[in-house]
Amino acid sequence: MAPRVVVLSLASDFGCQVQLSNMTDEILDVLGLIDLSYWQLASSGHMPDAYDVAIVEGAVTTDEHVALLESVRATAGVVIAIGACANTGGIPGLANLLDLDERYGVVYGDGDGPRVAAGRRAPMPLDSVIAVDYHVPGCPIDPPEFLRVLSRVLLGLKNRVPDLTMCASCKINETVCFFDRGELCLGLVTRAGCGARCPSLNRPCTGCRGIAPDANLVAARAISIASGRPEGALDDALRIYNTAKEVRG
Amino acid sequence: MFFRVIPKREIPDLVRGLAHEFEVVGPVAKGESFVFAPLTDPSELRLDYDTTLLPAKQWFFPASETLMRFRVADNAVVDDSVDVTPRVLFGLHPCDVNSLLLMDNVFLGDDPDPYYKARRDNTLIVGLSCMPTDTCFCDAWGTDETHWGFDIFLSEIGDDYYASIRSVKGAEVVDRYVTGREVTEEDTAAFQARTASFKAAFASDIDTSQLPVLLDAKYDSGIWAELGDLCLSCGACSMVCPTCHCFDVHDELEADQTHGTRVRTWDSCMFRDFAEVAHGNFREVRAARVRYRYYHKQWGYLSRFERVLCVGCGRCTRACKAHIDPPRVVRALQTGVVDR
Repeated sequence: MAPRVVVLSLASDFGCQVQLSNMTDEILDVLGLIDLSYWQLASSGHMPDAYDVAIVEGAVTTDEHVALLESVRATAGVVIAIGACANTGGIPGLANLLDLDERYGVVYGDGDGPRVAAGRRAPMPLDSVIAVDYHVPGCPIDPPEFLRVLSRVLLGLKNRVPDLTMCASCKINETVCFFDRGELCLGLVTRAGCGARCPSLNRPCTGCRGIAPDANLVAARAISIASGRPEGALDDALRIYNTAKEVRG
Repeated sequence: MFFRVIPKREIPDLVRGLAHEFEVVGPVAKGESFVFAPLTDPSELRLDYDTTLLPAKQWFFPASETLMRFRVADNAVVDDSVDVTPRVLFGLHPCDVNSLLLMDNVFLGDDPDPYYKARRDNTLIVGLSCMPTDTCFCDAWGTDETHWGFDIFLSEIGDDYYASIRSVKGAEVVDRYVTGREVTEEDTAAFQARTASFKAAFASDIDTSQLPVLLDAKYDSGIWAELGDLCLSCGACSMVCPTCHCFDVHDELEADQTHGTRVRTWDSCMFRDFAEVAHGNFREVRAARVRYRYYHKQWGYLSRFERVLCVGCGRCTRACKAHIDPPRVVRALQTGVVDR
């Protein structure tokens, strides 16, 4: 029997779900292998009660999200976190740098903020709340990588996310190093697996895939400083996608 | 070996001629740097290049290659053909010609690698003289000259090239596509003078005395921990190295899951999972990985093939943001101190 799959979103811009719909060459093949029971972006129905695989994008930002995730975890055999928000807290995670009560006041008006945003939480990645079985990082996800992970899920193979940093991919692409052009690039410490796509398109890495477990942050900070950046420049640049992870540990 | 003098102005004719029979790959500009790439016109060829971002190994041992395609239902191999585009690598410096000979020891030994061999057998090598840059240290290993491993070697003498022709195929294409002329005693004298000025131009003073002994005697030296603290474990050194040849093999299924491909990709001993096996990781810390790289290159390979596994091309010197390279590591071994 084909696995029953649900796709849902927490705090995010749905960009990763859009990426799934962008897999025009493969989506029919994929749909032939699964029973797509619910797709938040494309379905008007409700989440079913029973399913086997949950694909979740977005950061955890409310108590409701926590309750939903706990129910998802209790129901699904496999949980796949897709995108930067779900994997590192992503851009929503930047809110960890702020005084949330004050910010809600700014957005919703004095006095009303805390009431309107009842149940709010500092944005966090999925695995701060539930165990996650498979990870597809990136902002947005890379469809070929998603397909590789899905293939592993269908085969019952364990999660395999590269632990190394981006630089080797750039060398393979023969991309001229941004440090050699006097620019900071977060590929030095960011998890590989996207093929160093942004640098190959002439944009330095912004760290959307999260800090690689094998990254040497101490050495990277020293290199950033030696290349003429102010102290703290590397960590500041990392914040855009990695604040929640940083706060968490 | 025999010799011809080929005027520089005839090089475009040679390239155009070769292009009738081969894909011609040579150094072309990429930003401020250079890469080896297929030429669409001889004018793209930059024989004044210093070095390339990636070495020539990618034309024999690509960063990622499909070894075979298989059918999942019955595990049958449905395609294991090898890409064997007849190709000329035009303009390899002596370090890079030598690097291929070192790679041959690995891939063409008792049990040749069919993928590498098919490409090697179908590739003509045209070597080219160079002048050392400030990152070159081929003189330390004697890889600043090459007498094997090329079909034609072009040494620049003024407006001409002094061409050493090593193979029948090399002779055939020279006969077919360039006029050239016989070599005179003056030409050989010019070749010798050129060689002398090349040798005199090296800035490096790497002291390789007793290197294998030092590697063993200083196995537990604190220099390795210091270098490990600097290392980013990014593997850039291995990717750009013309002699690093480690690879990983894995299977990927196609979207419909009915067929898959077995893929070979470049790997690096700088990566933590390189040494991960069933019971754990036998080079868990960065220091152990940096040390292993140098042990393998300067001692392990040497003990097997009587050459070190480095040609002094300096690509790692340029690529490593942590400035860990053979000159610095060898200095650290000699002095016991890692330069800052």
